[in-house]
Amino acid sequence: MRTKLFAVASLLVVAALALTACQPAGTPIVQTVIVGGTPMVVTATPAPPPAGPKVLHLNMGPGDIPTIDPALSTDTSSVQIVEETTVGLTRQNEETTALEPGMATSWDISEDGLVYTFHLRNDVPWVRYNAVTGEVEQVMDCSEEPQPRIVNAYDFEYGILRTLNPATASEYAYVLAFAIAGAADYNAGVITDTTQVGVRAVDTYTLEITFNEPAAYNANIAGMWVAHAQPRWLIEGDDCTEGQGDRWTETGFFQGYGPYTLKEWVHDYYITLVRNPFWPGSDNIPQAAIDEINWVMLDEVPAFAEFEAGNLDVAGVPSAELDRVRADPELSQLLVIAPVLCTYYYGFNTQAPIVNDVRVRRALSMAIDRQALIDNVLKGGQEPAQWFSRPGLAGAPTMADHPDLGVHFDPEAARASLQEYLDETGQTADQLNITLMFNTSSGHQRIAEAIQQMWAENLGINVQLTNQEWAVYLDTIKDPVATPQIWRLGWCQDYPDANNFIREVFAVGGSANPNGAGGGGVGWENPVFEELVVQAAREQDPAARVELYAQAEQILVYEDAVMIPLYWYTRNTLTRPYVTRTFSVLGGLEHIEKWDIAPH
Amino acid sequence: MGRYIVRRLLWMLVVLLALSAITFFLMHAVPGGPFDREKALPPEIIANLEQRYHLDEPLLQQYARYLYDVFIPHLSRTPPGRSLMDDHLININLRVGGLWLKWMNFGPSYHSLSRTVNDIFRQQLPISAQLGTMALCVALIIGVPMGIMAALKQNTIFDYVGMSVAIFGVSVPVIILGPILVWIFGVELRWLPVTGWGASPPYILGFLPRPSVEFFRYAAMPSVALGLGSSAIIARLTRASLLQVIREDYIRTARAKGLAERVVIVRHALKNSLIPVVTILGPMFAALVTGTFVTETIFGIPGMGRYFVTSITNRDYPVIMGTILLYAVFLVVANLVVDIVYAYLDPRIRYT
Repeated sequence: MRTKLFAVASLLVVAALALTACQPAGTPIVQTVIVGGTPMVVTATPAPPPAGPKVLHLNMGPGDIPTIDPALSTDTSSVQIVEETTVGLTRQNEETTALEPGMATSWDISEDGLVYTFHLRNDVPWVRYNAVTGEVEQVMDCSEEPQPRIVNAYDFEYGILRTLNPATASEYAYVLAFAIAGAADYNAGVITDTTQVGVRAVDTYTLEITFNEPAAYNANIAGMWVAHAQPRWLIEGDDCTEGQGDRWTETGFFQGYGPYTLKEWVHDYYITLVRNPFWPGSDNIPQAAIDEINWVMLDEVPAFAEFEAGNLDVAGVPSAELDRVRADPELSQLLVIAPVLCTYYYGFNTQAPIVNDVRVRRALSMAIDRQALIDNVLKGGQEPAQWFSRPGLAGAPTMADHPDLGVHFDPEAARASLQEYLDETGQTADQLNITLMFNTSSGHQRIAEAIQQMWAENLGINVQLTNQEWAVYLDTIKDPVATPQIWRLGWCQDYPDANNFIREVFAVGGSANPNGAGGGGVGWENPVFEELVVQAAREQDPAARVELYAQAEQILVYEDAVMIPLYWYTRNTLTRPYVTRTFSVLGGLEHIEKWDIAPH
Repeated sequence: MGRYIVRRLLWMLVVLLALSAITFFLMHAVPGGPFDREKALPPEIIANLEQRYHLDEPLLQQYARYLYDVFIPHLSRTPPGRSLMDDHLININLRVGGLWLKWMNFGPSYHSLSRTVNDIFRQQLPISAQLGTMALCVALIIGVPMGIMAALKQNTIFDYVGMSVAIFGVSVPVIILGPILVWIFGVELRWLPVTGWGASPPYILGFLPRPSVEFFRYAAMPSVALGLGSSAIIARLTRASLLQVIREDYIRTARAKGLAERVVIVRHALKNSLIPVVTILGPMFAALVTGTFVTETIFGIPGMGRYFVTSITNRDYPVIMGTILLYAVFLVVANLVVDIVYAYLDPRIRYT
């Protein structure tokens, strides 16, 4: 009997140890257990857990990552992987958007501002993950005594030219095609001689890029993912490497050189990156502290459930759950609302009846209570937008330095502006026949209904709502004839500069103004605006640039009231308290090499 | 019977050809294309993309190319390569003059830039098939006994409770039931994994998971969530059909000659009453095993369902064609199996 009791007690001690394995190491655990009706106090001091790898569990969002090939990436999830596995010549600071050195430690700019000479670091090897040894190893070259392949200027030259090669069919090649001399002709198949493209490896660690314009953002473009170094031997094959063609980014083949490299990519399910110990680290791109990052590919709602079950370290909050999270004493401590460089807006077809009058457009814009929209409909802590270029972009005005710029809720002024138009045309507000179109989605529907109601209450205008399926809608709102009077879109940065917003969207030929006065999109031309955005792109003094963009914004959203800025995006993130992290403003693109996990 | 099956399979080819033509020309006729973006792409970029995917050719030529790639086996000297353009479902090394027999290239995805439609079939279809089969088992295990019970004890508490559960099953969709199950068993009790799938390649016979506790732990909630709705349909059909059959003369005869009630029901009544149930099992099977978007999304299962939906919004032409043809093959084959089962259930049915 005695031995049996002892056996039971020992088992309980083991069980207690097992149960408390998650407690901080070294903390004595005292538990009272009942053995055969007799209470016993069991004290156990668990041994410190073995220092296992630090693994971060994140969610990438639903669906497979389209690609992790730098030349082909277009969306945030693809670029997220590319930015961790390879590094550009320059790199954007994800919190300040400031331009920082990447693979280039410094660069010289010619007198005319067109030729950039990048000086590359010479200590970064290409690496791959070896599944057999479970280690990251350096990639060796084909010489008789194999040496590590060091990332050099030729790899960058190859990368840029591969992106521009028409056969690669890269979507984002256009960014390089517009910026780099000769690149557009090469990409369009007009020339096939790559020596006429303004990219040249001067020597092993010096790369020269010739640009079309002396623009302030040239060095940013040189750092974009489509201009990253790419491994020619792996893609095309060489003496000691089998060429993997389109499949080079798959598990087992992939080679990179960034702070992390690919360990495993199970399509549609998860992707795992592993720390690259050969990344030498720099002031702004340190060696990674976390050993592995595992992204699952889940919709927001199941991801939130996984977070609540303790299986994710970071998760977005579904808008339906936000009120509960805010009220929850524990979860609310983990919640951070961070800015995202995107703007949600309505555009006017300035050639369509009624909204071809600026007074009507301005009235409609001023009659929207953006804060009420955020508080009652969106509920995600978004910021009311007074102009188009999201604050946080280089060159964009901020609410701190331009609190009164642009347009804001002013029902009195809105009514006055509309009344002037009504008196002149001899109509009443309820006779105005206006249609608002958006792409089919319950979210856009709710926003449109709220705004429809605000216009009815504040102006007495009854706007018709209509919607179309996304791909059909995109055609409709660019068609000179079919573009509705008011339409919806959002815009997110490709590179964090106001040029990417105000000029690339609304200047003539921009994505929301394809033909200027020829119609489609906003169908608008204003020579003063055109002049301002070109001048601002070339201006080198940051403060003067902001002023130029502020003037352009005032024309866009108030004087000509071509579009209605509605809100600036934010995102709601829950992060476990043991994760130290940065919050990126680059549309969710994180630099996880700066994160760490504390023992927990 | 053999000739009948061969004839049906040949008809299937005709059906697939007709379906491929309708789908192909319909999807090209719909406004919007695969490279329409919010930030419109420059024409040069679109030209490069269209050239890569042969979208710059006349539509008829594109269709002919598609038929050739998918339906016609062809010989090639190049071994199966690393190109997404040249990925065939069937590659046979003939070992004669370095020749390869290649068949069924469904093309690359325009959206998942690192994958082909065949990759999706190879990696996602087995998982959807596993989930769908499990769900169908759940549906049958719950549905058939519940239907029998309700019929045999008509207008008793069994009938009412059974049919109430059936109504509940039909009217509560997976999108409600799924998150509730997740919340109870995954988040609060933590008995079962919240999301994911417990089987990975290599699969037995290409799609069967290696049996393990893990597999069933992962499959439990999604199979129940997905199967419950179908079980309700099966239960109602079984009940209605069985009620009709047990009023037939031959059942009275069976009883009159003194057979045990159990034998009367199982051998005489049930077998006949299953015909309508088997009829719906065909399409139900095809729908369940080719992927279920909502269930797979809620439970984070890397199956095919998502591609049925996103391929259309993305205008991802090869994926649209591939998923629709796949669904058609499953539907036609499942219906053929149903017809063969009829002959077993009802000796009067004979095919020639």
